Amino acid sequence: MTRVPLEQKVLSENDRAAAELREQFRASGTLCLNIIGSPGCGKTALLEKTLAAMDPYARVAVLTGDIQTDADAQRLGRYGFPARQITTGGACHLDARMIVRSLSGWLTGDVDLLFIENVGNLVCPTSYDLGEHAKIVVLSAAEGEEKPLKYPGIFYKSELMVLSKVDLLPYVPFDRELAIRNARATNPAIEVVEVSATTGQGIDGWLQWIARRRSAAGLRVS
Amino acid sequence: MHEFGIAQSILEAVRTEAAKHPGARAVKVGVRIGPMAGVDRESLSFCFQAAAEMDGDAGLALELEEGASDELDLKYIELEEP
Ligand SMILES: Nc1nc2c(ncn2[C@@H]2O[C@H](COP(=O)(O)OP(=O)(O)OP(=O)(O)O)[C@@H](O)[C@H]2O)c(=O)[nH]1
Ligand SMILES: [Mg+2]
Repeated sequence: MTRVPLEQKVLSENDRAAAELREQFRASGTLCLNIIGSPGCGKTALLEKTLAAMDPYARVAVLTGDIQTDADAQRLGRYGFPARQITTGGACHLDARMIVRSLSGWLTGDVDLLFIENVGNLVCPTSYDLGEHAKIVVLSAAEGEEKPLKYPGIFYKSELMVLSKVDLLPYVPFDRELAIRNARATNPAIEVVEVSATTGQGIDGWLQWIARRRSAAGLRVS
Repeated sequence: MHEFGIAQSILEAVRTEAAKHPGARAVKVGVRIGPMAGVDRESLSFCFQAAAEMDGDAGLALELEEGASDELDLKYIELEEP
């Protein structure tokens, strides 16, 4: 019996595709954000509000992943920016090869900002690098403030937590400060923005975060 | 449930490595998983067994070690050489 030591990532195939994407984003000056959260936490609603607030000439595109249907791409396609659905047909997350395939031959020019809405799930997307600049976790006010403790992986890997549906705070027993403390117990550096896609509250702060992230990535701020 | 996909990635890596040792048969693979990796160990073990059987590698064992933070790494494979 011989033991052969290995020093490699389990997902090295995915990581190779992610490295390819990262290089592609660098060459095109694209900031890529990977948006992750449980089903129905408001990812598409947030992106709809975001697209609606954008300069119509902004170079923005969205990829959205779901197990079935192109409902989200239809919602996101109404704002004049390219939006494309990835249906995984069962997979509970997007992987880098799916992004490579979807991007190939899709956009006619470079974009400054690419949003990827991941499949609704707080666990599985955590493991997959999509070549993004940052993972962003969306937690809605109706989900319970203990979620960062129950699903630490995604909070650990995210640069930003978007606390969504804050218009519901008066109606649900949700301690927003405790939710933030719980997220920071897992990841002390995580930043937080609070938004409501229904009222538009906090969308400015979210757009400012994106602009700051662009300049932190050494990209031109448009 | 992405553990099945992860199990398949492990099997793929084992096959690639074993192919470098002609005649040898992989009997065990060691994987290290950190608490932030977002991978359930029990579910991964279950999926690994199922995926290995499907691929005709039923004799291949998976050994999981406790890793740090979000580690999800292959550590070793054990080969039975003729
Ligand atoms: N009150 C309130 N409801 C919201 C808000 N944002 C989204 N919703 C509602 O929450 C539900 C789910 O929103 P989506 O945007 O589809 O959520 P999602 O995260 O994209 O869902 P999946 O893609 O299926 O995982 C819808 O009924 C929305 O109208 C918000 O800010 N406030
Ligand atoms: Mg959606």
